[in-house]
Amino acid sequence: MKPHRTTLLMLPAFAMLGCIFLAPLAWFFVHTLLIDSDPSDLRDQLVAVLASRAMLRAIVTTNWISLLVTVTVLLLGYPIAYYLANRRGFRFTLVVFCVIVPYFTSIIVRTYSWMVLLGREGLINQALRDLHLISDPLPLLYNQFSIVIGMTYVLLPYMVLTLFAAMKGIDRNLLLAARGMGASGPMIFRRVYLPLSRHGVISGALIVFILSIGFFITPALMGGPSDVMVAMLIERSVEITLDWPGAAVMSLFLLSVTLLLYAVYYRVTDVRRLMGTV
Amino acid sequence: MGTVMSTRRGLLRGAVPAALAAPMLWTRRAAAAQQLMVRTPGGAFDEVKKRTVYAPFQEMTGIEIVPVPSTAAKLLAMFKAGQVDIDVIDTGDDSLLDLEHAGALEAIPYKDFKYTNPDDIDPSVRMEHQVGSFVYAFVNGFNTTVYPVGKEPKTWAEFWDIKAFPGPRTLADMASGAPNLEIALIADGVPMDKVYPIDIERAFRSLSRIRPAVPKFWDTGALSAQMLSNREAVLAVIWNTRVQVAAAGGAPVAPQWNQNQVLAQAYGITKGTPKLDAGVRFIDYSLSPAVQARWLGAYKAIPVNQQAYAHTAPELMDPQTNLPWTRSKGFRNDIRWWSANRAKVGAHWNRWVLQ
Repeated sequence: MKPHRTTLLMLPAFAMLGCIFLAPLAWFFVHTLLIDSDPSDLRDQLVAVLASRAMLRAIVTTNWISLLVTVTVLLLGYPIAYYLANRRGFRFTLVVFCVIVPYFTSIIVRTYSWMVLLGREGLINQALRDLHLISDPLPLLYNQFSIVIGMTYVLLPYMVLTLFAAMKGIDRNLLLAARGMGASGPMIFRRVYLPLSRHGVISGALIVFILSIGFFITPALMGGPSDVMVAMLIERSVEITLDWPGAAVMSLFLLSVTLLLYAVYYRVTDVRRLMGTV
Repeated sequence: MGTVMSTRRGLLRGAVPAALAAPMLWTRRAAAAQQLMVRTPGGAFDEVKKRTVYAPFQEMTGIEIVPVPSTAAKLLAMFKAGQVDIDVIDTGDDSLLDLEHAGALEAIPYKDFKYTNPDDIDPSVRMEHQVGSFVYAFVNGFNTTVYPVGKEPKTWAEFWDIKAFPGPRTLADMASGAPNLEIALIADGVPMDKVYPIDIERAFRSLSRIRPAVPKFWDTGALSAQMLSNREAVLAVIWNTRVQVAAAGGAPVAPQWNQNQVLAQAYGITKGTPKLDAGVRFIDYSLSPAVQARWLGAYKAIPVNQQAYAHTAPELMDPQTNLPWTRSKGFRNDIRWWSANRAKVGAHWNRWVLQ
């Protein structure tokens, strides 16, 4: 009886998820694709939208930016997580604080703060000009460079926390044993620590990539005219051209890719380990 | 800008299943007989209007105006779901035309107006299902620290001349509602009165010539004003209201009115609203001469009530003709052309920005 009772505790959560997430989502797709427009056109609709040059380019841009962001976040996040996994006390608290606090700040505020720094007359360009290092302002804003910076900043905590959880689970005795067997520092890292933290790397990379492909605000605010991601195309179809079937097709595509990646994520990630129960 | 953003996200997440939220809306409606839900653009627009229109209206009638942020798409979704919790829509005349075509608007009962004589309203914005509330324009805004007044480009052809007038520009993005195809045609030599019907191919070719100087197309009025104020762009195709409100706040920006494209903000009444009378009263009140003078003097827009022209902010008047600049130097935006062609332009834009 015991497992059954605890399952009951999940009912409110499931009910809420079903009512405010799954049902409207299903209703939206059914309505726009099958009721408001002719179902027999569905295939043509899918082909027309997904094979359009704008969509293909947006898919490429979205994946490329997401990949750049994932790699950048990983390179920045790994050392931070390593530091956290090996420190206690004040230093640990300080770094955790620095990682977590931005996480609770509005994404719009964080994006705007980067715009203030990177702008043509922003702090960085002004400082470089005052130091006479440049005469014309560098194009730091409104391109892929600024999108990657903005998104990296927003997504870093997800990577750090995931990696930290994985690294905390590594048995320190294995490292001591490796040292006892005469392995050098870099070798211990490469042969023991890295493989043991690998599932954290994969989980973290997947979660960051999944979040990246659906990003809207940061690329919309910090990107240039041709840096169009899929979410921005969807927004434009819904809001401006009122092409809802088109938007539904693109959303369905984005949702499928996300669910697919989640499936992979679920396979490689031991959720219990992330929760700290193992 | 915050309002616009949160609205968009709100829409993407779940404006469509409005039916699910219906019970909550019913109770709110029943409890608040003295409230009128008005869709507004929010932000600086509401700050001025709260002071000059909503508060005095409430004092006079007891009706509280509750501004609700919403986009045209969300309104349309609510209408299709059969659950519109908004009584009056205050938005661009182009969006209202789309809503009218969807059958979402009541006819404006001009005969019930008490504060405003309908004959005083500019006939070009006095329509069956919508009535203009003020007129404004796309103008050439410039940063005066780079181009002192008098040294700025005087025509759109000069604005397009990247060599004679160097520096980054910003123009309207498709995401703002419509890109500046008309202005691109004028820059390419088309006379103001021959712009419609728009030659879309030619307009985009003209836009391609200026594009190297455009780091970013603006999608919200706030962004255009911000870019011009902090010199992310030194020249902008921008709403005169944004330039002049920014200038009044001390920003080094100014408008050049020559060849301006005249736009209108307008009211519509949602079909089947239980508060028709209060809605009409609010519209009627805000179009009356004294209210138009007080409100639009502060908001730097041109009244639609011709009795209020005498009180138009002086910076909106052409000193040579003593008419509003929109009358002396402007051409009217054609919302019917846009309503029929917006999807086509949108598809073209999506291809063009990727080039």
